[in-house]
Amino acid sequence: MERKIGVYVCECGPNIAEKVDIDKVVGAVSSLDGVVVVEKYKLLCSADGKKFLEEEIKKHGITHLVIAACSPKQHEKTFMEVCENAGINPYLYQLANIREQCAWITEDKDEATKKAIRLIKAAIGRVKYHSSLEKKEIECNPAVLIIGGGVAGINASLELASPDRKIYLVEKTSSLGGMITNFEKTYPSMQPSSHILKQKILDMDKNENIQVFIDSNVEEIIGFFGNFEIKVKKKEVDEPAEFEVGAVMLATGSNFFDLKKTPQYGYEKFDNIFTALEFEKMNLSGEISLKNGKTPRSVAIIHCVGRDEKGYCSEICCMYSLKFIRYLKDKIPDAQVSNFYSDLCIPGKSYQKFYEQTKGKNVDFIRSTNVEVTKKENKLSIKYIDENGNKNSLLVDMVILAPAIEPTSDVSELAEIAGISQGDGGFFAEEHEKLNPVSTSTDGVYIVGCAQGPKNISDTIVQSGAAAGKILASLIPGKKMEIEVKTSHISESFCIGCKVCISVCSYGAITFDEAKKISVVNEVICRGCGNCVAACPSGAATSKHFTFKQIHQELLEAVK
Amino acid sequence: MTKETEKFEPRIVGFLCNWCSYAGADLAGTSKLKIPSSLTPIRVMCSSRIDPVLVTTAFLHGADGVLIAGCHPGDCHYDKGNYYARRRFAVLKKVIEGLGLESDRLRLSWVSASEGQRFAEVINEFNEKIKKMGPNPIKVKTSL
Ligand SMILES: Cc1cc2nc3c(=O)[nH]c(=O)nc-3n(C[C@H](O)[C@H](O)[C@H](O)COP(=O)(O)OP(=O)(O)OC[C@H]3O[C@@H](n4cnc5c(N)ncnc54)[C@H](O)[C@@H]3O)c2cc1C
Ligand code: SF4
Ligand code: SF4
Ligand code: SF4
Ligand code: FES
Repeated sequence: MERKIGVYVCECGPNIAEKVDIDKVVGAVSSLDGVVVVEKYKLLCSADGKKFLEEEIKKHGITHLVIAACSPKQHEKTFMEVCENAGINPYLYQLANIREQCAWITEDKDEATKKAIRLIKAAIGRVKYHSSLEKKEIECNPAVLIIGGGVAGINASLELASPDRKIYLVEKTSSLGGMITNFEKTYPSMQPSSHILKQKILDMDKNENIQVFIDSNVEEIIGFFGNFEIKVKKKEVDEPAEFEVGAVMLATGSNFFDLKKTPQYGYEKFDNIFTALEFEKMNLSGEISLKNGKTPRSVAIIHCVGRDEKGYCSEICCMYSLKFIRYLKDKIPDAQVSNFYSDLCIPGKSYQKFYEQTKGKNVDFIRSTNVEVTKKENKLSIKYIDENGNKNSLLVDMVILAPAIEPTSDVSELAEIAGISQGDGGFFAEEHEKLNPVSTSTDGVYIVGCAQGPKNISDTIVQSGAAAGKILASLIPGKKMEIEVKTSHISESFCIGCKVCISVCSYGAITFDEAKKISVVNEVICRGCGNCVAACPSGAATSKHFTFKQIHQELLEAVK
Repeated sequence: MTKETEKFEPRIVGFLCNWCSYAGADLAGTSKLKIPSSLTPIRVMCSSRIDPVLVTTAFLHGADGVLIAGCHPGDCHYDKGNYYARRRFAVLKKVIEGLGLESDRLRLSWVSASEGQRFAEVINEFNEKIKKMGPNPIKVKTSL
């Protein structure tokens, strides 16, 4: 096919024209091989501009299009649409960025003009080597697997379930609700925690689009976004249940720091030392008492247990410790409560107020280090170093320890099954801490709640809502999913089967064909980073739209 | 300064990853910072796409400097691409020396999408350095 390249140079009002001599640019590229038309235009992205381009493409029978304008981040897609409307493949086009990375950064007009010419020549050289790429779409299953039936998993199930979207919720224990079923009340509202859960669990039961598996574990997740195959094993049942979903959400919560690693707090050595969870349960049972059945008159709450060992602040311990003061004051109004803390973590718009309301008579906050618990007669003795560096001690009846929050014991196993990685503190790693905090490196696998890191109930709900929103927006019942077109490809005849590409791909997009002894890219999974292409020693792997030849053409102009 | 070096206008190839460094370069533009026109940016999806052949080809064609710029460690859009880029960069430095070039003609920098200022600094600094080094000796040889 004869190549007819059309080049259109945008003035962007004064934005480009002020710094680049547009006429000179037009003159410099007009006679290049393959170029049939070069025109300038005031504002190419305007409605008139797009119409003009469409007509030009048709009028001149343009096969390959070069636009010199702003950054591809601004209008690459705009002109791809113009190509489609004009009937040429949108990948037979290249955008030269002569605004952000030329006109706007170059002092001298002459220099800017020369650079613009260089960038446009590079684009012309490149576009000659472009190939048509076809849009790819796959059928997808709108169903969702949610692992973990705590508040995160329950909330997401209810947000997502609908007649055309089935939800499978897998919980490893025998009941739903997770951690908060142990609490009488929740901070900061101090409303009964059943207010949050009871209705939701009833709604779950009623919802016929939600199937709950209790006493079950997920054994296998294979496939990719839109099409995952799942195996779930229920305790004491031989055959696993098998079903298909389009997305997976991990809402498996967290675990507590192992107190054996901090013997200085005397846990399990002396009576009347409780973990936060044990204290929640005792309080829920209605009575706070010592082992001998008596009511404690003085209680110490030790914050930050295991914080140094873990190397992070668990966010929620200070707040639930304040909640414990409330529990104690409700049930034993004259009890003396002493808090041993290293830093108080009470962020946000309502926690400071909660703290102010909790402080008061018979409540102490002692900033301390080197805290140690021993027994003295029938009491517990807290030894510590205070803020001024002085050694001190205090006798109490009861001690409550607030241990750090850490990942669940099966976190690595689950990360392996779901094909995602672990990040800070061993928690599941987000795709990007700021930009994509609920997605993971595997498309279609999301992390929410304490499985992603320690957090309170509100943040847990926000996250599970965010992940549900992502799924609702991308896995639409009856609609195919558009997937990356600029994937990599491995040539059967060049591949020597060394598997280097497989080892560098972060997404498991490449598999080995044992029969042919070559590697094969699954283009549904491939994200098109090009890492395998750079790694391949035999030149068998290529990046569509970022081929060696295409980049090489740009290089040639860059060094002229 | 001799007349030769006064006239010397380096040619610098900048491979910029789409998600961070290219966006950072755009931001330098929107912030109207000044960047020497010796730089020709080439957009790639990730710094891990840059294979040693592309870089050596650039030098053999006469590039005076080559910059590979990607996201900061931990921020690569494709998980670990920039770690691979960093490993290849270390090997490439040796290869370039083997070609008889100063290894400082190849530079690897992390520039995020919000670091327009940093992008401008990196390029200005690199440009000055290359200017001091003078033209790529391979280019000089082959043009003789
Ligand atoms: C002592 C204490 C007091 C707290 N008090 C408050 C408070 O007053 N207010 C507040 O806002 N926040 C409080 N929090 C924080 C709150 O508990 C969490 O924000 C919330 O529980 C997080 O919900 P989740 O669904 O992520 O995890 P969880 O509630 O821990 O639920 C996780 C669920 O997943 C299940 N699971 C785990 N692994 C698997 C697996 N492999 N397969 C299947 N299922 C699995 C678990 O059995 C559990 O049911 C407190 C935390 C603690 C520790
Ligand atoms: S296409 Fe880009 S360069 Fe042209 S007018 Fe629109 S914004 Fe300006
Ligand atoms: S281009 Fe990237 S995502 Fe695709 S197969 Fe290669 S390494 Fe994997
Ligand atoms: S790295 Fe290249 S040669 Fe080796 S298996 Fe992969 S595609 Fe084949
Ligand atoms: S995407 Fe920027 S370095 Fe990988």
